[in-house]
Amino acid sequence: MKKFKHAINLLVILSLLLLAACSGGDTTSTDSPENSGDDAKASAGTMFLGMVNPPTGFNPINSGDVAAVFLQKFMFDSFLEMDGPLNFVPKLAESFETTDNQTFTIKLNKNAKWSDGTPVTTADVEFTLNLVANPVVETAVGAYISTFEGLDSSGKLPEGETSIPSVKVIDEQTIEFKTSKPVDPNMIKEQLGVKLLVLPKHILGEVDPAQLSQHPFMQKPTVTNGPFKFVQYAKDQYVEFEANSDYYLGTPELSKLFVKIMPAANMVAQLQTGELHMNVAGGIGKIIPTDYETVDSLENVTTVIEPTIGYQTMMFNTETIKDVKVRQAIAYALDRQKIVDNLLKGYGEVIDGPYTSLSPYLNKDVEQYTYNQEKAKALLEEAGWDFNQTIQLVVPTGNKVREQSADLITQDLQAIGLKVEMTTYDFPTIMQKGEAGEFDLLLIGFTFTLDPEISALYDSKGTYNFMNFSNERVDELLTLGKAEPDADVRQQIYNELQDIHHAELPYISLYSDHDYAAISNDVVFGAPKIFGFHHDLQKWAVSGAK
Amino acid sequence: MFQYIIRRLLIAIPVLIGVTIFSFFIVNLAPGNPVDMQVNPFATEADKEIRKEALGLNDPIYVQYLRWVQNLVKGDFGYSFSTYEPVGEMIAKRIGPTLILMGASLIVAYLIAIPIGILSATRQYSWIDYLTTTVSFLGISIPNFFLGLGAIYVFAVIFQVLPTGGMNTLGGNGGFGDTFKHLILPALVLGTASAGNMVRYVRSSMLEVLGQDYLRTARAKGLREFIVTNKHALKNALIPIITVIGLDIPLLIGGAVVTEQIFQWPGLGQLTIQSIGSRDYPTLMAINFMAAIVVLSSNLIADLLYSVADPRIKYN
Repeated sequence: MKKFKHAINLLVILSLLLLAACSGGDTTSTDSPENSGDDAKASAGTMFLGMVNPPTGFNPINSGDVAAVFLQKFMFDSFLEMDGPLNFVPKLAESFETTDNQTFTIKLNKNAKWSDGTPVTTADVEFTLNLVANPVVETAVGAYISTFEGLDSSGKLPEGETSIPSVKVIDEQTIEFKTSKPVDPNMIKEQLGVKLLVLPKHILGEVDPAQLSQHPFMQKPTVTNGPFKFVQYAKDQYVEFEANSDYYLGTPELSKLFVKIMPAANMVAQLQTGELHMNVAGGIGKIIPTDYETVDSLENVTTVIEPTIGYQTMMFNTETIKDVKVRQAIAYALDRQKIVDNLLKGYGEVIDGPYTSLSPYLNKDVEQYTYNQEKAKALLEEAGWDFNQTIQLVVPTGNKVREQSADLITQDLQAIGLKVEMTTYDFPTIMQKGEAGEFDLLLIGFTFTLDPEISALYDSKGTYNFMNFSNERVDELLTLGKAEPDADVRQQIYNELQDIHHAELPYISLYSDHDYAAISNDVVFGAPKIFGFHHDLQKWAVSGAK
Repeated sequence: MFQYIIRRLLIAIPVLIGVTIFSFFIVNLAPGNPVDMQVNPFATEADKEIRKEALGLNDPIYVQYLRWVQNLVKGDFGYSFSTYEPVGEMIAKRIGPTLILMGASLIVAYLIAIPIGILSATRQYSWIDYLTTTVSFLGISIPNFFLGLGAIYVFAVIFQVLPTGGMNTLGGNGGFGDTFKHLILPALVLGTASAGNMVRYVRSSMLEVLGQDYLRTARAKGLREFIVTNKHALKNALIPIITVIGLDIPLLIGGAVVTEQIFQWPGLGQLTIQSIGSRDYPTLMAINFMAAIVVLSSNLIADLLYSVADPRIKYN
């Protein structure tokens, strides 16, 4: 008995020590734990946003990912902002005009300046455009300027040259550039106007273009021209911004802004505890649909749901599934509405092709492939499909809904008698499998622009044409569409394109999921938006101390 | 002793070279490459090609390896392929948080495991013994992510006494107390998981020692049972446990990958996951290299501690 007592004593002492250690920490901490949730609220003028994907960096011309571009736009202003479908409002550019759809004139806001006081001038714009076109510069935005006169189809200058002949600086505020053929101004405005960010020539002018990516500025931008200044990036943790009090469109209301990076599951917890003011939605900060109900029931947040232009597709390898009838049969076999209803909790839409209901270029006359198993079976019989053949369905990991949809798709295909083998890989592997054509069916998602130009996916030489789909008329239409200035004629072109794809079916779109954002009631101004998220950032505000 | 250390260090060199060659080729053999991760639809094929060339990915793999070794010898880990940050800097920033988390969870693990292990051994086949063995078995079986999410839900969401993640309160003053508060949950989660394992080591080691003759002598001399157990027996029972510490450190790094992810703890584990996802070869190589050094040196330290704890063991 004595032994037992001693052991208990020891245990009690040790656990007391442990407890003391824990509570000791609490009492010495600068703010008591009960306040941790209030911290966010207490410091008026500080906002916390939550996102899931970490950015690859802050190099405005060499960032492949949506997350990086999203973060850069807090610090760097684009020429224009699109605050609604194809509705452009001025930002860094006072005006962005063309009279002949071929020569474009950008007039910069004369008050615009870098955060070190240097004015933003056309020299910076020219410098940036030349860098993007320079064949030794690492960049990810070549396509923005691929229509420029004097550049090849990937937007590059001939080897050895360093300045684009068709770009002309008129004065400090006015710059002109010319495309090789007349184009739809909306396409240029959406790509170059809304997405291209200007680099400071007075900081980077002397840097060897080939070494630009490694320059410290690309990790820690020292001067910016947007509403916020860069403070620090704790890798994969958060990005800290502070207000640029000299911002040419007005001093921001917020003094600090943090964008926190975290797994989607943690976002719900942090919204609930008040550690987050909102999730950024938009494909990089989504709340998972299984948490929607939880978020809806939270009293301290309101939710916003909006349709998007992003969508998920299932690509057919047209080399291994040659017969159109088989592809059609597979399309008919899918109960896509079930995916939207069950996996997206109804917050999404079934689409055919690359345009969602938000797009003005969606061809509404194309009839959808509606769920019809009888038709699917009949088509397979007609095509003489060998039912012993196994179909390889390749699925990328990372998007929970997409992974789950693959299970439903497999079930649907098995229901019409197909043998399906599903394999999942991480994203880099998917890209390689895609390029090598090592799949029969491949799930993948895209977010292009509102502009209908999608050569990257459709063109027989397109970067993402893993389908190996090649059709002369399609290539021809894409070239025509890219170079057509008249929106009505473009509509005709893209209508025909959608018709061909509907018939040939190189891929079937599955669904487009709506953005689901939760915003704290403490937010006075500002909310995640599909269009123009970064518009009026200087007006964003949170309510003050309690 | 000194000679022994030197000999061990010399053996470590070929082992390290072997590890780097092996991991470099494995890492590069994985399908996909950093340029494929350039998922901006506005990146043209020409853009990708320029990047590939700039990163040296067009060179044969042995050239890439030799270049890496050459830089390593100069103390340069290279640039991250996905973010272009110097890898050395990136890793230096991560080591501190990882060491803090590992240290804290080791302390938690031992604070739990040693008393419970002793209790369990001294009361062998009693209900306490059965209870602790069952609980520690549960501790081993429950995955860290489950425990972690549960802990977040209870302590951060329901009671709101602890933060959900991160290492400091953003926009706050930081400081020791603040970090400590953020450390509690991840350290407890990681610590209790390894404690489960540890209890069983302590118990069996203790059981073995308790049956020894010298303890009977000690008791016969009239020493109190408390002294017998906690001084004479424990000291000897700890020897094999020291080795377990050495073996536990690499395990802790592995466990930390998951725990760091859940609690957004800015350590090496989180960096590893991100680097694998983006096929960031230089960062992965640097992490592998460091992990190899940690394993080798923790084994060496364990062996040395062994001789400190048990004078019968001599390295000559």
